[in-house]
Amino acid sequence: MSDRTPPAPATPARRPRWAALAPGLISAALVLGLWATLAAIGDDPRRLPSPLLVLGRLWALGASGELWFHTGMTLARVLAAFAVAMVAGGALGLWMGRSATADRWLNPSLVVLLNLPALVVIVLCYIWIGLNETAAILSVALNKIPVVAVLLREAGRALSPDLDDMARVFGMRPLARLRHVVLPQLAPAIAAAARSGIALIWKIVLVVEFLGRSNGVGFKLHMHFSNFDVARVLAWALAFVVVMLLIDLLILRPWQDSANRWRQDAA
Amino acid sequence: MRLELAGKQFDGRPVLGPITLELAPAQRVALLGPSGAGKTTLMRIIAGLDTRFHGLRQVPERLAMVFQEPNLLPWRTALQNITLPTGTTPDAARALLAQVGLEGRDAAWPRQLSLGQQRRLALARAFAARPQILLMDEPFASLDADTAGRMLDLTARLLDDSGAGLVLVTHDPSEAAFLRAQPLRLRGTPATLDVGEPGALPPHPRDI
Repeated sequence: MSDRTPPAPATPARRPRWAALAPGLISAALVLGLWATLAAIGDDPRRLPSPLLVLGRLWALGASGELWFHTGMTLARVLAAFAVAMVAGGALGLWMGRSATADRWLNPSLVVLLNLPALVVIVLCYIWIGLNETAAILSVALNKIPVVAVLLREAGRALSPDLDDMARVFGMRPLARLRHVVLPQLAPAIAAAARSGIALIWKIVLVVEFLGRSNGVGFKLHMHFSNFDVARVLAWALAFVVVMLLIDLLILRPWQDSANRWRQDAA
Repeated sequence: MRLELAGKQFDGRPVLGPITLELAPAQRVALLGPSGAGKTTLMRIIAGLDTRFHGLRQVPERLAMVFQEPNLLPWRTALQNITLPTGTTPDAARALLAQVGLEGRDAAWPRQLSLGQQRRLALARAFAARPQILLMDEPFASLDADTAGRMLDLTARLLDDSGAGLVLVTHDPSEAAFLRAQPLRLRGTPATLDVGEPGALPPHPRDI
């Protein structure tokens, strides 16, 4: 082992971004083509409207302002449930990962909650708490908390005892320890829980809105389902998929990348 | 510092017997013995990392430790690895970085440093805590002779400058001699301390 700085590892030449995106774009275009073909063959816009028709509906929804209001309501519920689930599930998982006693006592409840159908939790919350926002957000969070807890429990078990020793010898304060020693070790698990979590949560939020709210994308889906308006159902679904993809692309991924900066070998 | 250990067991198996260890300010001792003798166990008790023992432990307020591995925070820069655990100012940390030959590497991530550099960073971190007693657990064990020699030089210089006491765990008596640390041998099961002849300390190489 020499005392000099290790030489920079040869980095493979990076392909331009568009080249990496090409397969995804082409496969999306193929699916769109298949949809257009099937719609043309079926020739029944009430059953399977063409992509162009759906796009037109989407445009009209955007122009009337309806799109922004209901998407915003749903998004607000997604974010509220997401925050509750990440904080509560994260704290619970970390506690269970660090304390074997806590794990033994809480694990059975966690397993039950993990296997309880989302619909049961939603229905029970609406019955016990009432048809209100608290019940809606709580029922979504309850569906996600055990998933976050399990992921963070595994990460909590794998925390480095050496770094724990270091922090104790130097007398680091609990908050500094959490921020500089513990959380960075948990970051990969938190990122995984966040990305899988947001995907699961928005689907459950739509069910919650479908069953008991009077606004939001789920409520609109309920309305158009009653009228068998497939074009508008698809328009709403498409709009929200785009919103969630943007959140992943513009918020979650950049955050994950910046949290991983220290992994680079050479400056 | 004073440690009066009545005994230490692991799952009912006694590893350390009665041991009394007393250190005057700036005094240096080395715990010697073959691997498995209980050196690291004794060190962890002194450091306060192992509190399940019978006995009495009195240590000064400011302790610092250099571990077998650098034990750096890989997600914090070299400078933050000194300031965050010790609470020292960035300026003081930069001065220490310069003293251990890492001038200008403030912003480097630990992974960008060689093992020798990481160890010197760990040494700088320990002295940044302005320890009254420095604890070192086999700090030169996994280094090649060249790097180990330079680390020893650096440690000796920083110890002289700071006036800190030293408890060094090692299997190599020559390291203890170089740092002018009184050799104490851990022997037997359960292990007890065998105090070497005082006054038999070799002179510091720089005093010759």
